[in-house]
Amino acid sequence: MLELNNISKYYNTGTVNEMCLFQDFNLSVEEGQFVSVVGSNGSGKTSMLNIICGSIPVDSGTIYIGNENITDMPEFKRQRRIGRVYQNPAMGTCPHMTILENMALADNKGKFFNLRPGTDKKRVDSYRESLSSLGLGLEDKLHVKVGVLSGGQRQAMALLMSTMTPIQFLILDEHTAALDPKTAETIMELTGRVVKEKKLTTIMVTHNLRYAVEYGDRLLMMHQGQAVMDEIGEKKAAIRIEDLLERFNAISIECGN
Amino acid sequence: MKKSFKALFLTTAVTASLLGGCSGSSSSPAPGDGASYTIGIGQFAAHGSLDNCREGFLLGLAEEGIVEGQNLTVLYENSQADGGIASQIITNFASQKVDLICGIATPMAQTAYGVGKRQDIPVIFTAVTDPVAAELANADGTPVGEITGTSDKLPVTQQLQMIRTMLPDAKTIGIIYTTSEVNSLSTIEEYKAASGDYGFEIVDIGISTTADVPLAADSLLEKVDCVTNLTDNTVVASLPVILDKAARKNIPVFGSEIEQVKIGCLAAMGLDYIDLGKQTGRMAAAVLKGEKKASEMNYEVIEEAAFYGNTKVAENLGITIPEELTSSAKELFTDIDQ
Amino acid sequence: MTLLLGVLEEGLIYGVMALGVYITYKILDFPDLSVDSTFPMGAALTASALMSGIHPAATLLLSFGAGALAGCATGFIHVKLKVRDLLSGIIVMTGLYSLNLRFAGGRANVPVFTQDTIFENQFLADHIPQWLSSYTMALILFLIIAVCKVLLDLYLNTRSGYLLRAVGDNESLVTSLAKDKGMVKILGLAIANGFSALAGSIYCQHKGFFEISVGTGTIVIGLASVIIGIQLLCPENGTSFLNSLKLPQVRPTTAVIAGSVVYKACISLAISLGMEANDLKLITSILFLVILVVSTERRKKVKSHA
Repeated sequence: MLELNNISKYYNTGTVNEMCLFQDFNLSVEEGQFVSVVGSNGSGKTSMLNIICGSIPVDSGTIYIGNENITDMPEFKRQRRIGRVYQNPAMGTCPHMTILENMALADNKGKFFNLRPGTDKKRVDSYRESLSSLGLGLEDKLHVKVGVLSGGQRQAMALLMSTMTPIQFLILDEHTAALDPKTAETIMELTGRVVKEKKLTTIMVTHNLRYAVEYGDRLLMMHQGQAVMDEIGEKKAAIRIEDLLERFNAISIECGN
Repeated sequence: MKKSFKALFLTTAVTASLLGGCSGSSSSPAPGDGASYTIGIGQFAAHGSLDNCREGFLLGLAEEGIVEGQNLTVLYENSQADGGIASQIITNFASQKVDLICGIATPMAQTAYGVGKRQDIPVIFTAVTDPVAAELANADGTPVGEITGTSDKLPVTQQLQMIRTMLPDAKTIGIIYTTSEVNSLSTIEEYKAASGDYGFEIVDIGISTTADVPLAADSLLEKVDCVTNLTDNTVVASLPVILDKAARKNIPVFGSEIEQVKIGCLAAMGLDYIDLGKQTGRMAAAVLKGEKKASEMNYEVIEEAAFYGNTKVAENLGITIPEELTSSAKELFTDIDQ
Repeated sequence: MTLLLGVLEEGLIYGVMALGVYITYKILDFPDLSVDSTFPMGAALTASALMSGIHPAATLLLSFGAGALAGCATGFIHVKLKVRDLLSGIIVMTGLYSLNLRFAGGRANVPVFTQDTIFENQFLADHIPQWLSSYTMALILFLIIAVCKVLLDLYLNTRSGYLLRAVGDNESLVTSLAKDKGMVKILGLAIANGFSALAGSIYCQHKGFFEISVGTGTIVIGLASVIIGIQLLCPENGTSFLNSLKLPQVRPTTAVIAGSVVYKACISLAISLGMEANDLKLITSILFLVILVVSTERRKKVKSHA
């Protein structure tokens, strides 16, 4: 469903600092797949996400969602079909608006932002329900400003908000990296649940090898702009953390680290 | 505890400020008691000519027997060329129930008129170059309400005549003016209309702020035989700079009133702002004493311009001031004030 | 009483502009200096319009529209031409100064004493009873600003309003919602400058004349009103010492208008105490500082109790 074809991206072209990030990179993600992406820093995992979302442009190559070529589509237009959760919990919600208002905002995604009331009174109960499924007590705090919530709570809301309206796929950008282990666990469980319930095609970038192994039905290891490991289904299920670590070491030695 | 104290303090301060001005009204003497008066003088900017107006105004009142400290209380405020402050100053006067408001310079006069007509306070203006354009008087000179005063319209034709007499061969006269001074614009129109009669061409250059003056002066001095001044606040404030540059090029600068001649202008067919002020003061006295209403007096203009010259400047420029002017001069200065 | 009314009237006029500054400064987090020229633009257009015989009420709408266009210009320069927020405002402010002189017919001072205005016209003369006449201006101002405030509050609770609030808070979220954050900012700037020009229009009709210098310092007055209003009446943590109204979102707009009145009252007090106009700017900054410091202390206290 998602196709990246012959993507090339260079940073600082024409200068001494010219760096090749991707050269002829290809990736194809089927509908319904849950891809975990791991890799060392600078391997291009986050850049790949940014390229898919449109935050950074490509030098050459095409990106397709379904049959549609979105290579030249501006970022905000692409987001209609994409849900994204960032590493920074502050980026997914509006701190000066209440929980209810944030939920209402997310609910309006895809609709016209016109002069109709921002919060649809009839939907409040369904917001409450979704929030109570988080188990964080947020459903009783609908009129509290999001800024006072903890990082984990905000990230949970961000996850809910990004999946509230129908999307074609979900992008998770190291979304548990800034959370403490317990909260990270909660968020991952929530992620697993939401993805399963809504049958979302998902790409998750993570540093946490355990999550990469436990979640998802496809594993991608990136290194210097290439996919050095790409296992699906049973093969993926068979991977253990040790295997990944071994592979990491191997790559490092090759590079002379 | 501390928090609520602060809060209380703030509330009190705010309330006090709202009531602050009101307390003033109880201390002013009752109007029309025959014996004492309270007036508010609002001056738009701090500026030699305007200051002279104010002085003259008080002198004029004194001549008619209304003396500050004896039977007159004067509330004086200067808005430092800020329109918003001018507005508050006038509101303040009105709340003190003054018997009369004197507005010095056009924006202050207009603000005073706006408030005065709602509060039934007569307004006397001075240093308003064109009262008709400012809608403070009708085209035929009659008042539009309880407002009258004096205009410091420049004696344009007399100035041109004087320049021609002093510089028989000059062809171009330069004028620097500020684009936001409406009085300057109308005076320049007059100059241009009349200049042909005296064989002159007017070259004008507009500026926005004081910072623009040096460059504008440089540019203008390249093109003209002499320069003349209007009563433009910004330009007059920067006169020393202009005089300095002109002196280097040996180009005479003519002024519009005494102070300018004192500091280095060659000559002026000038207005004595103190006299203008006195005239205004006399009009105000008539209104205060109830002899006449402001709505019955047309605004007045000083018709006679007097010649002021500076012989030191003339010497530096190598020009002799003609006999006909020196003999009729109101005052001749022999030195340049720094 | 006259003084109270005078201060109230001034406060309400500038309060309309403060609503605009509230949108740019507080909601969009965009320091918009263009109000220094959109305020006099409203005044200039109104003066010319009244002289041409246009109905006074229509001049209000005309000014709002023109202000909105100017705001779009600022927004365009910032969003599409990628100029920094502060500089975009300065560019528009400078350019508009010259345009304002043109709008006023090439003159720096245009009196409209002889024209009908929203404060003085036949309709009012016929319908307002004598005992009410000295309060007419204040009442009309009250009416106008009440309408503005209510409309703004309603707007901020619509979907579009939510988006406006979101873009100043977290613009990545707006992009995630598949909306162009640049367009939202431009809309915000348009509305804010519309208010500023509207305030200028009212100012011109209140005073009876247009003068090119009325705009200088508008942003300072606006910021002072917003900051004083918000910090005194609805600080971020909701621990206002004036006991709060039920609906939290209503307070900022009311607070900002109240802030404008308070600011004008303080200036009035300063003048009554005999302070020179030169010192008034110093007083404004001291006032600002005091308010900000007091509010920071309060914030600290809240944290220590929580």
